[in-house]
Amino acid sequence: MSNYYDELLKLCGFEDNDMENERPRIEKTFQKIGLDAEDMKTAERWVRQNHDVELLGVRKLLRAWLLELLDMVLARDEGKKVVYYGFPSIPGPGMAIKAASKEAGVDIYCACPDVILCHTLGQIFNKLTPILEAGEENGLPPGHGLCSLQQIRNGGMAKGIIPVPDLVTGSSYYCDMGSKADELLHERYGHPAIYVDGSMDSRWGEYPDYLPERVEFLGAQLNKLFDKVKEVIGVEVTRGAWEKAMATSRELYGALGRLTRLMMADPMPISGVEVGLALQLTAGSTGRAMSEGPEAVSILCDDVEKRVKEGIGVVEKGAPRVLNFIQHFSDPSIIHMMENAGLAMSATLLSVPPKKYPPTTYTTLGEIRAEREMRDGHYHSAFGFAKRFEEAVKDLNMDGVMWGYLYNCRPLALASYTVKKWVEETTGVPTLALEMDMYDSRNYSVAALRTRVEAFAEMLRARKASAGVGRR
Amino acid sequence: MEQESLIVAGVDIGAATAKAVILNDDEVLSFSIIPTGFSVTKAVEVVIEEALAKSGLSMSELEYVISTGYGRRAVSFTNKVLTEIICHAAGVSSVLSQARTIIDIGGQDSKVIGLDNNDNVSNFVMNDKCAAGTGRFLEVMARVLDVDISEMGPLSLLGKEPCQVSSTCTVFAESEMVSLRAEGESRENILAGIHRAMAHRIVIMGSSVGFKKDVVFTGGVAKNVGMQKALEDEIGLEILTPEEPQIMGALGAAILAKAELAKLRKVS
Repeated sequence: MSNYYDELLKLCGFEDNDMENERPRIEKTFQKIGLDAEDMKTAERWVRQNHDVELLGVRKLLRAWLLELLDMVLARDEGKKVVYYGFPSIPGPGMAIKAASKEAGVDIYCACPDVILCHTLGQIFNKLTPILEAGEENGLPPGHGLCSLQQIRNGGMAKGIIPVPDLVTGSSYYCDMGSKADELLHERYGHPAIYVDGSMDSRWGEYPDYLPERVEFLGAQLNKLFDKVKEVIGVEVTRGAWEKAMATSRELYGALGRLTRLMMADPMPISGVEVGLALQLTAGSTGRAMSEGPEAVSILCDDVEKRVKEGIGVVEKGAPRVLNFIQHFSDPSIIHMMENAGLAMSATLLSVPPKKYPPTTYTTLGEIRAEREMRDGHYHSAFGFAKRFEEAVKDLNMDGVMWGYLYNCRPLALASYTVKKWVEETTGVPTLALEMDMYDSRNYSVAALRTRVEAFAEMLRARKASAGVGRR
Repeated sequence: MEQESLIVAGVDIGAATAKAVILNDDEVLSFSIIPTGFSVTKAVEVVIEEALAKSGLSMSELEYVISTGYGRRAVSFTNKVLTEIICHAAGVSSVLSQARTIIDIGGQDSKVIGLDNNDNVSNFVMNDKCAAGTGRFLEVMARVLDVDISEMGPLSLLGKEPCQVSSTCTVFAESEMVSLRAEGESRENILAGIHRAMAHRIVIMGSSVGFKKDVVFTGGVAKNVGMQKALEDEIGLEILTPEEPQIMGALGAAILAKAELAKLRKVS
């Protein structure tokens, strides 16, 4: 029997039997969110307009995101313990917790709900605004320089869409706003929160090797988190579980590496929007990212490879190749506007695999994780950010860098000027520091960003046209 | 063989004013400036008609048109659309080739543009989501202080003790003006304070691009001598202003249109 949501789900890669199996869960989820037939029509239009659904790999990625939404919304009803982590999230601790739970036979749901709501209610349903507004109405008001990711999580809980978790973790990992927002959410919903602090203030030049006391501090914080998980969830997070999680993720990261290489083809074969769908699955989910992710990304790579062989692209051949920090989480029309301006938004900083380092000398799981994440360079130091951009520009032979930042985001806004200057001086590649909001496009719409993006595109094209400058 | 002349136009549809320039090769045949008003399409029609009438040409004689400005996509007869940043650079370079930095203050936004030795845009920064630091800010202040906008600059130069204007929000700055007037501050000192505050804001914004000699001031606000002086004081450099600072975007669009047309002719 067909239903009001069948067309959309088919568009998002669900097979008939798949849909039949999931039907009760789909209906319960859509009812909880308040998605009706009209919303499905809107979503169908939005998905067709913004996603390359001609490609099976894209459809499978959308399916993975939708299944993750179902898992999240129904986690409590399905008897699972719920653990949330914040973004900037690192899948590391989340994946270790998930892997350890699996090993212990405890079924938990562990994810970053903000990222999932952005990619599903934003990218698929174009209906994130009511969630943001609910967050604003419930203690995180607009105009106060608050992070929209926190508003989204708050809105999701306030509307009863996502369960109140058993434990919230990691949101003060990189930024001070997350921990303050978690205090408020704790006060409001009563769930336990564990604040994992990192020391954010690095000396310039302190990357990739950090002062041991900084690694030890963050390591101790992570160990404290794992102790709390044992206390609240009843699962011991061991080094063995983490290593198993890393081994499981190898297939997915391998496929993502292949996708990054394929995206360097000229003309760029698919939109950066789809790359974001693939990459950010690893940031938001520890469940479907691992179960559906590898196959979906591999299929996408096969699709893309075919396009590359046939010389098919979504931007003109020779379009300037731009390295972005991250793709827009909730509004794909922003990246499409950039591509329509003639920019190949082919890679993000997350596309670039971390470098290989000698084996660690640390012994506790927290310290091992801390060292690894600090060496990845994200957020732990402005210099780390700058160096990562410099290395990525050189490795991927990019023509430009776009540093999207939100004015009130401490790690990004503070580094914007420094990173721009560093990248321009060390690589000679122009860098646009673009004030925007990667999660909420209400204040930074396509119209508000267009002139700066188009001017940047014109500048890069003129530069490329000059003999001997830029990518050859 | 005699070279055919290139008759082209540049149309710059800004938030406050619409501008059109008609070129015959390197010669500016005519230009026109009108308020944009409510209907952008109407402004497009009127501004090009006015410019054509002044040059004695008809629409069919225009061989290539480039449009720019916020309303650039509303120009139905355009051959190519470019942003005002690239067009301003081309316009300014054509009249002041030594320019290395452009400060453009329009009705809705302000920009600082860096040029390299080949007159290409090497860097830029713009503020386009807040009225502070734009022509609209000055318009609002003129209304509050009951001064004609053309008088603001000359009057500000008479202010010997500029007031402290701290608000960066146009609406709140309006309240600040009311307080200053209530305290008995002179109009001249208030105006000097407004110009200084606005110049300060633009210079901070432009610091990521830097201010290299020669610095050229364009846009409608460049006609304001008080603003020019305030910017010179802030930057510590002399600032040049083209004879017609408001049409630099349209002029640049026309110059780029000429280049495009020449390229097309060469190909054909």
